[in-house]
Amino acid sequence: MSDTPFVVVEDLYFSRGDTEIFRGVDLSIQRGKITAIMGPSGSGKTTLLKLIGGQLTPDSGRTLIDGEDIHRQPRRSLFAMRRRMGMLFQSGALFSDLSVFENVAFPLRVHTDLPEAMIRDLVLMKLEAVGLRGARELMPAELSGGMARRVALARAMALDPELILYDEPFVGQDPISMGVLVQLIKRLNEALGLTSIVVSHDIKETLTIADYVYVIADGKVMAHGTPKSLDVDQDPRVSQFVHGEPDGPVPFHYPAADFFTDVLDAGGRR
Amino acid sequence: MITRIMSLGRRGCDLLEALGRAGIFVAQSAVGMPSREGLLLWVRQMHFVGVLSLAIVLVSGLFIGMVLALQGYTLLVDFGAEQALGQMVALSLLRELAPVVAALLFAGRAGSALTAEIGLMKATEQLSSMEMIGVDPLRRVVAPRLWAGFVSLPLLTIGFSVVGIYGGYLVGVEWLGVFEGSYWGNMQSSVEFVGDIGNGMIKSLVFAVVVTWIAVFQGYDLIPTSEGISRATTRTVVYSSLAVLGLDFVLTAIMFGGLA
Repeated sequence: MSDTPFVVVEDLYFSRGDTEIFRGVDLSIQRGKITAIMGPSGSGKTTLLKLIGGQLTPDSGRTLIDGEDIHRQPRRSLFAMRRRMGMLFQSGALFSDLSVFENVAFPLRVHTDLPEAMIRDLVLMKLEAVGLRGARELMPAELSGGMARRVALARAMALDPELILYDEPFVGQDPISMGVLVQLIKRLNEALGLTSIVVSHDIKETLTIADYVYVIADGKVMAHGTPKSLDVDQDPRVSQFVHGEPDGPVPFHYPAADFFTDVLDAGGRR
Repeated sequence: MITRIMSLGRRGCDLLEALGRAGIFVAQSAVGMPSREGLLLWVRQMHFVGVLSLAIVLVSGLFIGMVLALQGYTLLVDFGAEQALGQMVALSLLRELAPVVAALLFAGRAGSALTAEIGLMKATEQLSSMEMIGVDPLRRVVAPRLWAGFVSLPLLTIGFSVVGIYGGYLVGVEWLGVFEGSYWGNMQSSVEFVGDIGNGMIKSLVFAVVVTWIAVFQGYDLIPTSEGISRATTRTVVYSSLAVLGLDFVLTAIMFGGLA
């Protein structure tokens, strides 16, 4: 394993309609590490993951996955590159017409010619790793949110990818399944030597497992460093985010006219 | 004034862009050799798109044939030409009613279901997750549905015609007492295989491509919210119906209007 970063994002610009989402983002994701990308809601974290996965195309800039620019690949090799990645979607995104077992077996069935008996063993191993071997006959609609996310994690790992992208893995989880997911991500990363990118705004959980953190806001990387160095960062914006203060340089209010003028005006009623 | 012209121009550009997207979309998904897996998925979609539309198409065909015979009889009997009933029923069905009505029913029954299904898969990120697993949703989700539509609507149209002609027989011969020999005999001597059956099938094939294309593209291209899905489903039915009726006029003019 070389020391070159696994994922490199260089000077990335992306806009949706007239809204600029990224204005020159640079990231460097080290192999075998958990890198967290954090930032307030609406800062484009999920969009960034989709750009790294090649599902969206940037206006300019490069995204290198193991040295190859994912946005300059023809369709066929793009799909070949994606086989080396797994992505855990916020909603789980399980195929609703397939059972838990078939969902996890899906990548194996479409990308390998393994005999049925071996597929069964592999699926049961992956489900065992996320603690849901007993739930294999259930349909996605019968699962709780946390369970669905764990099944999705088992499916993302089915082909033993080198890179896993986690989109808000902790959102809407009760404390127990939150703890389970935190441990799973950490353990899988260590046991399988994966490179992980975790997009999240759950500061406490993310900082306990991340090796390196990028904070993005206003379309740029606002700060980056190890969790320790961010904790003592003096930048007021970073400090506000990391310590979860409701108001500060990142305003609590959406831009609006002065409150009193607004109330008194009342749509020209006066 | 300038703003109006600008917005008109922008609309034109948007329309062209959408047409271009739809063209690339259908070329990328429908062209190419299917795998064994793809064939199995196609068979499954033939069941959902074709077999499950069979009941509504056949029942409608029966009633339309019966109504045709009833209306035709009251008209023809005035001229003592009720022997031509079979010919009238068969020609109306084969040339016009079967392709058009079957396509309209197909748009309402199967087209809207295709749009909603693909749209919901998009809204719940199932298409995205398929892409990230390294499976092209155009090949896996879209292609089998497109081909199922292309094949099943012409077959449904044949069923519609056959049942409709039988409905005409029930009313005309069994109920109103037209001579059975003239019902079938006149039909046999006047219906041409290429001119009538062939042209009707060409119409049906064109409608199948257009309706399925609209339905699947609307599902794939929609805004992934509940409002987006409901709007796209409505658009599928409206656009398909208008396209079928408009194209029917054009095709009829070419085939039977002496334009060709």
